[in-house]
Amino acid sequence: MTDQAPALPATKAVSGARAAKWLLVALGVIFLVAYPAWNDAYSVASLRDVLIFGLFALSLDYFWGKTGILSFGHATFFGLGAYGMGVISIKLGLDPANASLLGLLGGILLAMLVALVVGYFLIFGGVRGAYLTIVTLALTLIAQHIAIGWSDVTGGDSGLIGVPPLTVAGFVFFDPVHQYLLVLAVALTILGGLWWICRGRYGRILAAIEDNELKARTLGHNTPLHLLVVFVASAGIAALAGALYVTGTGFVAPDMIGLMLSTEVIMWVAVGGRGTLIGPFIGAFVVWRLQQEISSLDTRLWPLFIGLFFIAMVFLFPNGVLSLVERAKELSRRWRGAA
Amino acid sequence: MTQFVPVLLNALTLISILMLVALGLAVIFGLMNIINLAHGEFVTIGAYTLALTQAMGGNYWLALAVAPFVGAALGLTVEWTMVRHLYRRPLAVILATWGLGMVLQQGLQIIFGAAPQRVAGPLSGAVEIFGAPYPAYRLLLIGFAIAIVLACYAGFRWTRFGLDLRAVIQDRDMAAALGIDTGRVYSLAFALGAAIAAVAGVLIAPLTVVIAQMGINYLARSFFVVIVGGVGGIGGVAAGSAVVGGTESLLNYQVPVTVSQALVLVLAIVIVRFRPRGLVPL
Repeated sequence: MTDQAPALPATKAVSGARAAKWLLVALGVIFLVAYPAWNDAYSVASLRDVLIFGLFALSLDYFWGKTGILSFGHATFFGLGAYGMGVISIKLGLDPANASLLGLLGGILLAMLVALVVGYFLIFGGVRGAYLTIVTLALTLIAQHIAIGWSDVTGGDSGLIGVPPLTVAGFVFFDPVHQYLLVLAVALTILGGLWWICRGRYGRILAAIEDNELKARTLGHNTPLHLLVVFVASAGIAALAGALYVTGTGFVAPDMIGLMLSTEVIMWVAVGGRGTLIGPFIGAFVVWRLQQEISSLDTRLWPLFIGLFFIAMVFLFPNGVLSLVERAKELSRRWRGAA
Repeated sequence: MTQFVPVLLNALTLISILMLVALGLAVIFGLMNIINLAHGEFVTIGAYTLALTQAMGGNYWLALAVAPFVGAALGLTVEWTMVRHLYRRPLAVILATWGLGMVLQQGLQIIFGAAPQRVAGPLSGAVEIFGAPYPAYRLLLIGFAIAIVLACYAGFRWTRFGLDLRAVIQDRDMAAALGIDTGRVYSLAFALGAAIAAVAGVLIAPLTVVIAQMGINYLARSFFVVIVGGVGGIGGVAAGSAVVGGTESLLNYQVPVTVSQALVLVLAIVIVRFRPRGLVPL
């Protein structure tokens, strides 16, 4: 953070707050690593899925949060990773020792390739903002159509079952605890990596593009190239999340590529706070808990709730649910000041 | 010759449907720069108006007469309660109208159930055109679409409201300075877009499966129409519908529906690369 803040005097209070923050991060990591020690396999597998959804939400946050352009079709890339993994590892008849790893890489490459082609045409064509949002929305719709319609390859409505667990150098990630630890390691690595990349000059270039692309361009930055790189990298991370998800559940289904998931991932990012990188993980966890509670009453209530949430978000907490806490604090301070 | 007539007419039917749905969208999106993701649900509500009217003993023509009022009332309500507070925040409009669309979809499904609604068209049977029989209702649909598009063009071109609307599109602040009530123009335009969508819903309903989720299929394709055609008003809608609808229905004879939709997406993306402002720019 130091090279981002304008030369603050290193007072004791500031360094104390920083130490507290790092302590909190360390405690969080220790808690997550030790979690399987006192929890059953089901809870561990659930947290594994939440972490994967958090990783997926992180990929959207890297694009939406850092460039300001909303992708309404990010489940396309999650789904391409998932389907790439499923189709390559099941249908191609590869050596089982390598099939899952090839599936993982193939799924990620497929998603990045699609993002590269779509992104090149749109971003270099000058398509921005709301237009890009609409095209990505159409992309996810069509991806869903293809996943359901092309049943010879994708298994149609019922999807593909029997995706093998991930195997790396002879080690099979079959046990939920092993899968959980793998996902945790991947998620922390990518979160840390993106945080490290975005903290310095590069993060400020992205902020400049979000703020005013024309000005950033005038200053000599190749802004379409930056946006394309972020888009393709984001698609790759989303696909990684999708492929990992499939190795855990063992099957691929059309709801991993469709509109509903594209909508939900926006909600995860919005709940956790856009542009915060760590927020999407918190958002995914909170929404996952909420979904279990609401769906246990009536499954039809969940889409209704999402719809109302989107409307409420725009009017009540445009900067994420966590900003409500800030606002409540401020209100209470003002109220006490007036009294 | 005779085998080409149905091909051509099928293309015309799809182009007409897209024109009707995209027209309302273009008024709102192209002209007001507002992306209304609930537009598909406005179409659905038109279709449900037909289903409800017929369930209560009314006929098709009554529903066709009632639908624009239902649509306009819905559009005005949405504009007053949500959209007018968000004109300066385009991304917020996308999220809010998407949420509204989900609420409308799920609301319709909870009230009416998940089973498809029963609707009946006013005409059955076929008419012979150049020796090839073609369903009469589809010809009626094509006729209505052309009439509605022409009426909109005329209204846009020659009425006071059309003039105000064009002025507001060109320069909102200047229009306001000249005494045009821009807020009123925006709400009327939004209501008009919703009314056209509801009429489109009634016209489409007999040709399709009327369920709460039907709107989304039309939403995505009509955005292609607007993006490909450009926000140049009625001409853009016609050009975009011709390209998107024509390509899709001709491809449908060669490849499965899903592939043809994917190819139309590819075509749209390529067109956007080379003509970012659409085929008929403003």
